[in-house]
Amino acid sequence: MAKDAEKQAEEEGGEFADFLADVSKEIAQRVESLDKRATPSATPPTTEKRKAPIAADAGVIVEWPNVADRMIEEMR
Amino acid sequence: MSLVNFTAREITCKIVYYGPGRSGKTTNLQYVYGRVPESRRGRMVSLATQTDRTLFFDFLPLDLGTISGFATRFQLYTVPGQVYYAATRKLVLQGVDGVVFVADSQSRQLAENIESLQDLHANLADEGLDPRTIPLVMQYNKRDLPTAEISMVESLEETLNFRGVPHFPAAAISGKGVFETLRSISTLVLARLSAPAVKGS
Repeated sequence: MAKDAEKQAEEEGGEFADFLADVSKEIAQRVESLDKRATPSATPPTTEKRKAPIAADAGVIVEWPNVADRMIEEMR
Repeated sequence: MSLVNFTAREITCKIVYYGPGRSGKTTNLQYVYGRVPESRRGRMVSLATQTDRTLFFDFLPLDLGTISGFATRFQLYTVPGQVYYAATRKLVLQGVDGVVFVADSQSRQLAENIESLQDLHANLADEGLDPRTIPLVMQYNKRDLPTAEISMVESLEETLNFRGVPHFPAAAISGKGVFETLRSISTLVLARLSAPAVKGS
């Protein structure tokens, strides 16, 4: 899609087109890295599941996936 | 302001042109407006006084289209440079993602440049933004004036650009340096899309 924007920019010509082409490249790079972070992995984690969450410090739960698993199990 | 919104697939960047009165902030926006195809720009809103100085602010929305699946919009604002309009400047700075400081290169305007830069820092701090880290670009405008009337770029750098941010000599009235400045601030703002401070995702 970034290439589409670049192509469109070329057609429009001039200073704005150069600007748009640069911005499109930058956004394409950033969005790619952000999408990876924002989209949860399709493959399940391979690490061994613990039965209880581990509190790191002062009640901060660091293993939320395990908490969710336990909640689902208990609801069943 | 949401810089990137994954739910709506939108990227919105607010860029503010800051600087002393008559330094050329509105001229920057007018030049950009004149170079952007009609289909990609909104109506430029300018509220000026009878003496043609910016009273409240200028606003130029740019629709860059869909890039990598994200509807991308840039919002360019100017602030009124005159000291009297401090409240308006604070209002315009709310939710800012990046700042272009438009300095007047005229030697006799040096004190006004410094005062405006200090005002910018104070207002950013009031908004909870760190003046040391917010994306910032310096533009030294009016380089087309006679050499005897303007400060050397090196001198302006030493006085104003203690952060060492990108700087651009410009003559906004003829467009020199205008898009270079906009491109630079845009890149700095977009680079923060991957920073932990991303909001609205």
